[in-house]
Amino acid sequence: MKTKKLEKLLLLEQSGELSPRQLNRLGRELAVSGKARRLRTELNVLSRSIHTPDIEPSPWAVARIASRVRTEKAPVFTLSRVLKPALVLAAGLTVIAGIFDFHGMQTSSTSTAVVAAAEVDVWNDPVEKDLSKLENLIKAISGDRLDIMEM
Amino acid sequence: MKTADREKKRMDQEDAQLLAAYLAGDNEALGGLVEKYKRPLFGFILRFSEGRGEADEIFQEVWVRAIKNMNRYRHKSLLSWLFRIAHNLMIDRARRRKPVVSLDTPESEDGIPLADQLAAVRLGPDEETSGREIGLRIEAAAAQLPIEQREVFWLRMQADLSFKEIAKIQKCSINTALARMQYAVSKLRKELAGEYRELQEAGL
Repeated sequence: MKTKKLEKLLLLEQSGELSPRQLNRLGRELAVSGKARRLRTELNVLSRSIHTPDIEPSPWAVARIASRVRTEKAPVFTLSRVLKPALVLAAGLTVIAGIFDFHGMQTSSTSTAVVAAAEVDVWNDPVEKDLSKLENLIKAISGDRLDIMEM
Repeated sequence: MKTADREKKRMDQEDAQLLAAYLAGDNEALGGLVEKYKRPLFGFILRFSEGRGEADEIFQEVWVRAIKNMNRYRHKSLLSWLFRIAHNLMIDRARRRKPVVSLDTPESEDGIPLADQLAAVRLGPDEETSGREIGLRIEAAAAQLPIEQREVFWLRMQADLSFKEIAKIQKCSINTALARMQYAVSKLRKELAGEYRELQEAGL
């Protein structure tokens, strides 16, 4: 196995991220290869030699976090917990209202058309009389020009 | 490894309980969480900051941001999430910092290079005991690594994050995080060849 591949497997072993297949492969390599065992020891030495520094944040840092959290916590949680669902609800209602309104408009225009059709019969007679009068008048005035217009 | 996984999961549940208690109004639960993670988090921040003052500021900001967005936390590793916030904050600060300061630039009035000042912050007289010498030498060698490799190195070796978590923090693939770690380890091997031999001979 190439050194790079081997190192990769050793690093993943150390972090506990090896798949069972990779684990088997590494186990086989460690059993036969001195280089693999040396690299593994090196990595273990490195990780054991590292210590977490004893330095801590200043005591007032923790107090400041607590104070900032006290002052900033309430609006944040109120906003996120109350406003978000309210906004989602409002948006949903707006969409639903929009859909109903759209259907309503369609229904009202249909009924308007039905009413208009019924009213046409009532209006037909006087209108027809007026139209024939107008036609005769135009014929009398312009004669041939009416034919041209009809074409 | 399975025991370690179980332990990690148990810790995550403990964090979730503390968070739930905090969200229910128990402010002491927050104190418990800050206390629990302050060392690894502050240690990490300090390594990438210009001294304790800045590290303190970042540390506070990380927690405030975490708390503000706590309702987004869903049973993931809290520590990993805190490191992610710290990483983003430090990147922002590094971008805002003008001009870019080299570690060799004499920063103070007495002309001591910044690298020496930072080392002085970390190496107190109490820390220079024989048991820690190798650790300090590793720290000094790691300080020379490029920032991405250095970050992977400390997140893995000190904070004990998995490569999956590190990749999330650095917004890269697991393979990239692994490759950065490999470069870091390889450079440290060259730098610390003598120390490695000593330790191996001592059976550490």
